[in-house]
Amino acid sequence: MSEEVAPELTTEETSAVVPVDPWSRDAYFDPDIERHPAVRELRAAMPDAIVDVVRFRDETTIHVRRELLREVCAFLRDHEQLSFNFLTDHTAVDMLRLRSEPRFDVVALLYSLKNRVRLRIKAGCNDGEQVPSLVPLWNGANWLERETFDMFGIVFEGHPNLKRILLADDWDEGFPLRKDYPLRGWREFPVYNTERTVPRVRTRWTGRGV
Amino acid sequence: MSVITDKPDADSILESSEDASKTGTLTITDEQMLEGGARQLTLNMGPQHPSTHGVLRVILKLDGEVITDCDPVIGYLHRGVEKLGESHRYAQVIPWTDRTDYVAAPANNLGCVMAIEKLCDVEVPERAEYWRVIMCELSRIASHLVWLGTHALDIGALSMSLYCFREREIILDIFEAFCGARLTTNMMEIGGFSRPIPPGLPGLIRDFLKIFPERQQEYADLLSANPIWMARTKGVGVISPEAAISYSLTGACLRGSGINYDIRKAMPYSVYDRLDFEVPLGQHGDVYDRYLVRMEEMRQSLRIIQQALDTVEKDDTPLMAYESAYVIPPHKGTMTTAEDMQRHFVWVIKGFSPPVGEAYAAVEHPKGENGYYFVSDGTALPYRFRVRAPDFVNLAVLPHIAQGAMLADVVALIGTIDIVLGSVDR
Repeated sequence: MSEEVAPELTTEETSAVVPVDPWSRDAYFDPDIERHPAVRELRAAMPDAIVDVVRFRDETTIHVRRELLREVCAFLRDHEQLSFNFLTDHTAVDMLRLRSEPRFDVVALLYSLKNRVRLRIKAGCNDGEQVPSLVPLWNGANWLERETFDMFGIVFEGHPNLKRILLADDWDEGFPLRKDYPLRGWREFPVYNTERTVPRVRTRWTGRGV
Repeated sequence: MSVITDKPDADSILESSEDASKTGTLTITDEQMLEGGARQLTLNMGPQHPSTHGVLRVILKLDGEVITDCDPVIGYLHRGVEKLGESHRYAQVIPWTDRTDYVAAPANNLGCVMAIEKLCDVEVPERAEYWRVIMCELSRIASHLVWLGTHALDIGALSMSLYCFREREIILDIFEAFCGARLTTNMMEIGGFSRPIPPGLPGLIRDFLKIFPERQQEYADLLSANPIWMARTKGVGVISPEAAISYSLTGACLRGSGINYDIRKAMPYSVYDRLDFEVPLGQHGDVYDRYLVRMEEMRQSLRIIQQALDTVEKDDTPLMAYESAYVIPPHKGTMTTAEDMQRHFVWVIKGFSPPVGEAYAAVEHPKGENGYYFVSDGTALPYRFRVRAPDFVNLAVLPHIAQGAMLADVVALIGTIDIVLGSVDR
């Protein structure tokens, strides 16, 4: 992403202790992640919402509790100075092989048109648990959540029209982007010009140990 | 069907979904009487309709000629690019991105390699960045030419498609001279370009820069003040700025409504912060404004190419960040020395393992924000590969703008969103 240039300090400023503007753009990329304005404001307003805060490659990820996902996003969207009013992406990650609980991470990528920064919100959910839908906040979440449901089987509570979108409506093989779904699917495939079918076998090379 | 290990609660939702077996081209599938004697027709448009730009199917509910409800049905071209990406090594994912939005393949490639480079922290040489920008802006012009040709063809200006595809051929020839392929170019590599720039290439691009402004003026002369074109596009498909943000629109659909969000300016990537260009904005958010925005974007792309070409034409610095372990070893010497051959072979066969983490990188694609999201678990395969396709998100606005529009305007509305079904369905 864009390089952050440290503000040049004049001699007067260096002599005195300069309080860093808590709302400046630098605060979003401060090495101390607790000084990230969104983290700070969220901790003050909803102390029990944040589960974890992660920074990697200048990208800030806030893990929040599943039930509070919509409230957190509404807070960040309506906050006057944070103003994360643009939903860039809404998807999920199946964490099956990386941890035991919870199984999925629902990922919402927010963008602030005012401050020009991104923020990733993650909410962990287990299979069968419902995640609050973001459609009441952004209409753009409609198809993105349908796609997440289609690919992962995550049910969004409060979604007006939750059904498959990319796969066929009568697709009965489960949810393809789950990690326990084989690359070629479960279904047997026919051998041409014969009556036989061949079971699909798991051919995925996992690449472990490379 | 074999045993599925997980039994989700979602089963009941799936069972209640309606049957999708009714397909056809412009077939009336249902007709019912509404209150007051009005008839409601259900009209099925696509998936083989020429104006749906591929295999989009739109189910329209009509009251006379007015659309009361619109339901786009997508997924006919779904190939599971994200699932495939998770079973390929990082460098092997890049060709898949060509096949999502196949009319602007270099721009797709750039987003993908930028995400991988961010994940691996690879620094790309400046000269390669400039060439990436040149190729992306050429692909922007090529994509807009396809859009303009087909959009005008849908509305009734047949000759536009002939002119636009004529100029697009020149750009495809430039791509062919650069990398050997015309459509699925797969030209970007992690860390820059591993092959040299062909000596005649700057000349080809300069020829294109010379002739194109004149040709584009021809298109503008044919359309911009054309009464038929204005009657079909002005005041049609109006998207308010609030609705544009709420529907997460990006690209010309967002800027046509007057929201200034261009990733090249908002969060400059590559070398866009060193180039001088403007971001056109619309005022009314209708089809005509989006047409003007895209026309102006083509002119700005020419400016960008001109500046970038002036900077790097005489440059002779390296094109590839060979010092990084995440970059393909040099081709040079692979056919003469065993060590070079082995290094090259091992990299290609085994790939590389980025650090554990995740990265999202987005480019200003001709159609909007094209984002790539990689989650790495420290192995040679991406744990999660996500394509944020701009036209998939943009297409969701179609029911909103089609509500209350006339049936004849549907083709204009589909055209103005600028979709490529390979990218919508992935």
